[in-house]
Amino acid sequence: MSTQYSILFKQEHAHDDAIWTAAWGKSEADGSETIVTGSLDDMVKVWKWSDEKLELQWTLEGHQLGVVSVDISHNGAIAASSSLDAHIRLWDLESGKQIKSMDAGPVDAWTVAFSPDSKYIATGSHLGKVNIFGVESGKKEYSLDTRGKFILSIAYSPDGKYLASGAIDGIINIFDIATGKLLHTLEGHAMPIRSLTFSPDSQLLVTASDDGYIKIYDVQHANLAGTLSGHGSWVLNVAFSPDDTHFVSSSSDKSVKVWDASTRACINTFFDHQDQVWSVEYNSTGSKIISAGDDRAIHIYDCPM
Amino acid sequence: MAGMTSFGWKRKVGEKVTKSAVQQFEEGAEEPGGDGPGRGEEEADWLHAIKRRREILLEDCVLKSKRLKDEGALLAEEGRHWEAIKKWDEAIQLTPDNPLLYEMKSQVLTILQEVFPAVKAAEMAVKYRPLWWEGWQTLGRAQLNLGEVDLAVRSFQVAIHLCPSERTLWQEDLPWAWKLQKQHVATREKIRQEEETKNQILNAPELQQDYDFESDEVLAACVAVAERQARYEELQRTTVVIDSEGNIKTAVNAEGESEDAATPTEQFVKARGL
Repeated sequence: MSTQYSILFKQEHAHDDAIWTAAWGKSEADGSETIVTGSLDDMVKVWKWSDEKLELQWTLEGHQLGVVSVDISHNGAIAASSSLDAHIRLWDLESGKQIKSMDAGPVDAWTVAFSPDSKYIATGSHLGKVNIFGVESGKKEYSLDTRGKFILSIAYSPDGKYLASGAIDGIINIFDIATGKLLHTLEGHAMPIRSLTFSPDSQLLVTASDDGYIKIYDVQHANLAGTLSGHGSWVLNVAFSPDDTHFVSSSSDKSVKVWDASTRACINTFFDHQDQVWSVEYNSTGSKIISAGDDRAIHIYDCPM
Repeated sequence: MAGMTSFGWKRKVGEKVTKSAVQQFEEGAEEPGGDGPGRGEEEADWLHAIKRRREILLEDCVLKSKRLKDEGALLAEEGRHWEAIKKWDEAIQLTPDNPLLYEMKSQVLTILQEVFPAVKAAEMAVKYRPLWWEGWQTLGRAQLNLGEVDLAVRSFQVAIHLCPSERTLWQEDLPWAWKLQKQHVATREKIRQEEETKNQILNAPELQQDYDFESDEVLAACVAVAERQARYEELQRTTVVIDSEGNIKTAVNAEGESEDAATPTEQFVKARGL
């Protein structure tokens, strides 16, 4: 148990080129912690986190033109990845084998996100549609239309009620999943929203934009609850801690910032990367943060509990 | 003694800037309305004046650079490419960290088929503004012209990752570069196969053994070598072709067709609105 924020581990040269995405999952079967990273080098890598170090478990080949997004199913068994060639691939994390490859159609796979029950994968498309693929079927099941622009970011609320999407023109859309109805359209930012995330209690939505700001919305009333500044450039990723108390952001200003969710103050800044930090995530307990970026390094940080 | 020297040095610097700086300084100081500085505060005022002068010089550089940039853009529009580059080089002297200048210069160098300087210029543009997708697009186009297909594909990927809604990147730049990359890979593979087959003809494994010259084994070895020879000749006659769907095929060369069908000759780069 750490009492202060500190960098715990660095994996230099984790990929042969920029790392664009990372996810942290925990296996329900054996409790092991798995990290999945995707890179401009076309590779998806699966790492085991044990004894405070990373061990490369699988290097998964097949994607072309760079891996944009990865996510891990909530039981920790399956990883999903998407690439610029518009393919979504599903991988068995135990065996390192590809389960499915789905062609989403030209330009139609960006961020991938598992639904809370892990039966579906949502991804945004260039015409403003959120496409929902079945994990079992490997096919597009249905889509939600924002009638907007290119969707860069997607998030499911952990209670399974909502799906939020962030578009390249800064518009946020929130859908009711049960009815498929568009509940709210928020003119959140004037610039692309590269990441958004719900709080674990599904009450708050946090958005990250190229305008350098982070915004917090009250989901139920669709009210803006706060605007946070502090990054010197694009905010590329945001993630909430599992206990609702903090969230973390990464930026092209090379920093990773930890924010207090109630006071909305930045309580720690990590300046350990050499280049843009594309991805940041908490582990399942909130005791660690992972970040990765253009410098090809994966960093693991300790968080006070 | 030491104190005196340092005092004298400051005075000297002050005296040197007097003529031009003092005027600007006094004009500036009087603007807020009221008294100019008293003679008694002389030393601090000289330092202030020097600082202001530097600021004014920097502002001058930015303004002059902007004027040169615009003049260059007009020349480029008129097709007076080398004159445009001369203007932008002057502008770069004044503001060496302005990415726009390098990016425009790279576009025009590409038009002039100055392929290597075009890459160098675009590299400076992305160095100074790494989040600017247009800089990466221009770099990719310059790299493609230089024949650096792998680097070009990467630059277009970075550009798309920064601005995924940009259609020209999806519809023109990346597919074209990617097609060429596949073609290059297929061509390399064909050359490797050719080499391997050739080596096996010259150094056939079947002939390394001690044969009974009356046996069928010799016949079989000869047949194998002859087949390999035929395969080699066929490989030499084929060319790697990629059809409109991007599938790789090998086609038998028509007679008299040149070997360099794989290299792009058309000018791909379109000048954007300067």
